[in-house]
Amino acid sequence: MLSRVADSLYWMARYMERTDSVLRMLKINYNSSQDAPQDFTWHPVLSIFASLDDHEIDRLEDDSRKVLQFMIVDRLNPNSVFNMVTLARENARSVQDHITVELWKCLNEFYHVVRGDRLTYAIQHGDPITVLDTLIKECMLYFGTTDITMFRGEGLQFMNLGKFMERAIQSAEILDIKLGNLSGEVDKPTDTAYWKYLLMSISGYSLYLKRYQSGFEARNIVDQVLFNPDFPRSVLYSLNQLERNFDRLRSEKNLEGFQKVQFMIGKLRSNVQYSNVQNVYDTGLHNYLKDVIDEIDEIGVGLNQHFFGYT
Amino acid sequence: MKSTELFRQYQLTPNTWDEMYQNETVRAHYRNVLESLSSIPSDELSKKEELAKSLFMAQGITFTVYSSGEGIEKIFPFDIIPRIITASEWDFIERGIKQRLRALNLFLKDVYHQQFIIKDGIVPVELIYSCPHYLREMQNVNVPHDIYVHIAGIDLIRDHDGTFYVLEDNLRTPSGVSYMIENREITKRIFPDLIPKNHVLPVTQYPSILYKNLMSLSPGQVSSPNVVLLTPGIYNSAYFEHTTLARLMGIELVEGRDLVVENQKVYMKTTAGLQQVDVIYRRVDDEFLDPLVFNPDSVLGVSGILAAYRKGNVAIVNAIGNGVADDKAIYVYVPEMIRYYLNEEPLLKNVPTYQLERPDERDHVLKNINRMVVKKTNGSGGYGMLMGHAASDAEIADYSKEILKDPRAFIAQPVISLSNAPCYINGKAQPRRVDLRPFALCGPNGIEIVPGGLTRVALKEGSLVVNSSQGGGSKDTWVLAE
Repeated sequence: MLSRVADSLYWMARYMERTDSVLRMLKINYNSSQDAPQDFTWHPVLSIFASLDDHEIDRLEDDSRKVLQFMIVDRLNPNSVFNMVTLARENARSVQDHITVELWKCLNEFYHVVRGDRLTYAIQHGDPITVLDTLIKECMLYFGTTDITMFRGEGLQFMNLGKFMERAIQSAEILDIKLGNLSGEVDKPTDTAYWKYLLMSISGYSLYLKRYQSGFEARNIVDQVLFNPDFPRSVLYSLNQLERNFDRLRSEKNLEGFQKVQFMIGKLRSNVQYSNVQNVYDTGLHNYLKDVIDEIDEIGVGLNQHFFGYT
Repeated sequence: MKSTELFRQYQLTPNTWDEMYQNETVRAHYRNVLESLSSIPSDELSKKEELAKSLFMAQGITFTVYSSGEGIEKIFPFDIIPRIITASEWDFIERGIKQRLRALNLFLKDVYHQQFIIKDGIVPVELIYSCPHYLREMQNVNVPHDIYVHIAGIDLIRDHDGTFYVLEDNLRTPSGVSYMIENREITKRIFPDLIPKNHVLPVTQYPSILYKNLMSLSPGQVSSPNVVLLTPGIYNSAYFEHTTLARLMGIELVEGRDLVVENQKVYMKTTAGLQQVDVIYRRVDDEFLDPLVFNPDSVLGVSGILAAYRKGNVAIVNAIGNGVADDKAIYVYVPEMIRYYLNEEPLLKNVPTYQLERPDERDHVLKNINRMVVKKTNGSGGYGMLMGHAASDAEIADYSKEILKDPRAFIAQPVISLSNAPCYINGKAQPRRVDLRPFALCGPNGIEIVPGGLTRVALKEGSLVVNSSQGGGSKDTWVLAE
């Protein structure tokens, strides 16, 4: 497969995974803003997902519609849903002969939905949840279409690498937004609504209730989001999938590059698999998460060098 | 409201061939379609028009216009009423184009080898060497099977008596074939059953014929040659066409940055290292193809590709340097070429053309400029044209100055009033000017022309310019079986 094509498929998948995460995160945060406005703030969302300075955050954070508008359709916000979907589609457009027509149409339609005036109007005047649900449904169409139509070959492997690397990063970041600043006092009981929303934003709420049955404790949340191998948004699950998909790319022609990246993935995955909540607390949650994200970024650099290096 | 309503206000233009009407009667080959259209309520037709638009949009059959930083997706306007060509008209067109292409291929081989046609005084030598698309680098280069023009999109128009004329020979990187294919798909969706009922010949075989021809050009002794399509990239207005053709042929779509030349061989950069490329169907113009030889600023091409080509290690389609044969000043000599190389009388006529280099012809043109169309000899896309009858005095004065500066760069033709075909515009059928671009494929086993083509239509009322860059659209083009 052409290196450029592999690169585009990988980024297409990363942007779509990120879009999906951002949308779910926005939905839950918006819900939470309507629930308990006195305790709620958009501050962490804006600082993590939009890289704004404090002054700009202050200007936005009291107005949920403005935040949504900024996060969904703002052309100048590089992480807005509009810009991510545009990039995913641009990537898809340049590899149309490697994805199915159905998948291309799905991304193309998503693009036309996010850039349409109707959507902007709905964010300003309609029900934000309806807007977010519409967009989340477009993401689900993308994932379903990928699953049902994409040929099980190298292209899909590269898409999966992008998807699971991005997912691990997103889960780590969401955990960091909500719990990172509690380090040292993680066992202190705090507002349970807060944690409930965190779990809901990554579809982990019902799993948590079934598994821990003990109300909300930070250590359990950390355990689920980092280490539960069956929770599809956990960091460990994502890394397991990353390793599995990467192993299928083994090729005699590029054995050296393969082994280098395989080493990086294997090391990170084992590190996470053989850690527990206590180790995390010893390192400090924020530092632990930062290390994981840094290592995933390193794997990205490795892929760039050994697989996408076409310049 | 019935659709006879639809044609009630259809005005025949005097001195113009109408594809559908002969005086007040409907030509036999249009009757079926007229009947079907008439059975559809007119608001239903508007819905069909909307459906066509949304199908183009949803499939991304669009080109992007960049303005103020944000790309706007545009569709190439599509008119829902098909343009119909009878079996006997098609037979004539097909024979005419094949004849013309045989001669043009021989001309290119001759010009880049022995140059008999120059030595015999048929084509003046100055005309060849002053052509910007004549490439010295191609002199004495042998190309596989002596084929230079693998894909041609020859533009035809019809005069007031219905005679077909060749307007221009596009022998470099003609585009539009994906619209031939997609327009047919759209017609299938908006008018169910209409195509089988009318015995329309299919066009879907185009990609497989092209693929077969490309495979046959492979220089190496490999059992499965690596054929790729080279595109300038997603910002090119024909990008949709490049992806469509690559997908339909199952070949890799590459950009210049995906390729590298080593030891005069072309390779593509893959996730498993370099892989040799045998045949390149390029949609990048000559001047951008190799920055070492042509435009050094080009990032669309591949350094060293010309050397690999000259060495015979890679086949390039269409051949490099074809522009010398579709130059508008050379065009004048094509009928002579047909007589010279084939010893046949040309079937398809040329539009009478004045060469502005010749003082007597130039004087004649400048005196009668309001009855002329003046074009640049190496222009395309309808840019840089002067339509004498529509231009203001100031425009004419400016243009005349340009002509006098470099007369070789211009030709003039009398205004030919293209034929009219009915179009569905603002809820009524209205006549609009059309041309026809059939796509011919030359392979080692001869020339094949898929029965159909791209009918371009000047959607502006009264306009004679069909180019998409000048407000043109397109129609599905039917060739009927006997």
